[in-house]
Amino acid sequence: MLEINGLSASYGNVQVLWDVCLRVDEGEFVALVGANGAGKTTLLNAVSGVMKPGSGSVTFMGHRIDGSAPNAIVNLGLSHIPESRQVFTEMSVRENLEMGAYPSRAWKSRRETMKKVFGLFPRLEERAGQLARSLSGGEQQMLALGRGLMSLPKMCMIDEPSNGLAPLIVTEIFEILKSLHKEGITILLVEQNVRQTLAIADRAYVLENGHNALDGACCDLAESEHVRKAYLGH
Amino acid sequence: MIAFRDIFITGLLLGGIFALVSVGLTLQYGVARVLNVAHGEFIMVGAFMTFWLLGSANLNPLLSVAITGPVAFIMGFILHKTLFRRLMDTSPSLDIFEGKSLLASFGLLYVVQNLARIIWGSDVEGYNFLNSTVTAAQIPLNRLVALAFVVVLGGAFYFFLARTRLGKAIRASAQSPTTAELMGVDIRNVLAICFGLGLGLAAIAGSLLSTLFAIQTSIGLGYTVIAMVVVVMGGLGSITGAMIGGIILGLVSSTVTFFHPSLTMIAYYVIFIVLLLARPKGIMGK
Repeated sequence: MLEINGLSASYGNVQVLWDVCLRVDEGEFVALVGANGAGKTTLLNAVSGVMKPGSGSVTFMGHRIDGSAPNAIVNLGLSHIPESRQVFTEMSVRENLEMGAYPSRAWKSRRETMKKVFGLFPRLEERAGQLARSLSGGEQQMLALGRGLMSLPKMCMIDEPSNGLAPLIVTEIFEILKSLHKEGITILLVEQNVRQTLAIADRAYVLENGHNALDGACCDLAESEHVRKAYLGH
Repeated sequence: MIAFRDIFITGLLLGGIFALVSVGLTLQYGVARVLNVAHGEFIMVGAFMTFWLLGSANLNPLLSVAITGPVAFIMGFILHKTLFRRLMDTSPSLDIFEGKSLLASFGLLYVVQNLARIIWGSDVEGYNFLNSTVTAAQIPLNRLVALAFVVVLGGAFYFFLARTRLGKAIRASAQSPTTAELMGVDIRNVLAICFGLGLGLAAIAGSLLSTLFAIQTSIGLGYTVIAMVVVVMGGLGSITGAMIGGIILGLVSSTVTFFHPSLTMIAYYVIFIVLLLARPKGIMGK
């Protein structure tokens, strides 16, 4: 479904990604893990069109999307749920969700989609009229996820949903990710919380200093000497 | 008593017009990141287009906003798609773009003002419009009509931003352009639309001003300064702040002008400084 080949990217003169390759098949739950600064967020930004990759190719459902504008990419059904939530703080919860349904094909059915999102996150329905600014961190993350679903995506790229949240809420968010996957949405999850991520994903890629370091089935990676020492702390 | 009533009505009307002008500048600066010092020139262009349409086609000045607004919108849209888009694409960061676009808008100021001078000359022009007074109240009819017009227009614009799909996209883009893009907003178009809407509001304000005051091709810069004061006073980027700030400045203007016209400009800055001392980030700033 998503195929990244030999992708390089830089900020000005600082190269962040070197020849990164990654593949996500339809229906898979794939994780991308690595330390802070490994280039995970840059990779997502390069795929969703927020930044232009230097070289390499990105293909989504048979379309070349490297160099396309973000609005064209989300129109194809690839939703990028950005790091640190980025909800529109001065808009209500309902308006935030409506913004998620901005692509024309999603706009028409936004009311039905919103009902489904409210089914998934009842807390958002209770707070539909409130400004997003007034939500707690966990609620804002739910809003960011719900908003990402409003565009009726076939695949979601989710950047660090556990960032800055209490452990109990992280577990709740991970349960939600699992149920989204069960409903047929393909997921690429970027995380620093390696332990919990390897427990729910099918396959994972490990990114180190902008290079592919390791990849494979999560159960194998969790057993690997390198991953255990560097990321699991035992 | 009658003096107070007149001061209040004139103040509200001026305030409403300042609010339109300042909301226009907020859309250009707060969303499109262009600190457009040529903003006031489009007020002048709107005023002269109305004057010219009245003279040549005998078009009612109030109806002329249906032409001046859209014409200025199209000019703004094209200017952004050509000039400012190019500057944006060649700037490594938004800060550098702000600097470049400020310089470019200075250039725009001179070009527009001098073109207008070639077309319309530099004399003071004016015309009489609804100059009769409403008999019982002795208020000039043109002020009441213009006031009603500003209220309706301001309300309609507020509705557009609050309720429509494009209006919401504009507000989202003002808060975070990158996130708005991830939602599927075509940011290039939205920025050009915001710049165009800004100029359209300026031109409509100019059309209304020409029904009240004499006009001259050099009036633009004074209004640009007022708009900048209002935008900062209201809180950079806040549309509600620009509306409130505009009305406050309009009321101040009509009050001070009544007692001592030459102190009006000074009063603007006194209010500006006092407000910023009390609320450094502006009325609606965070």
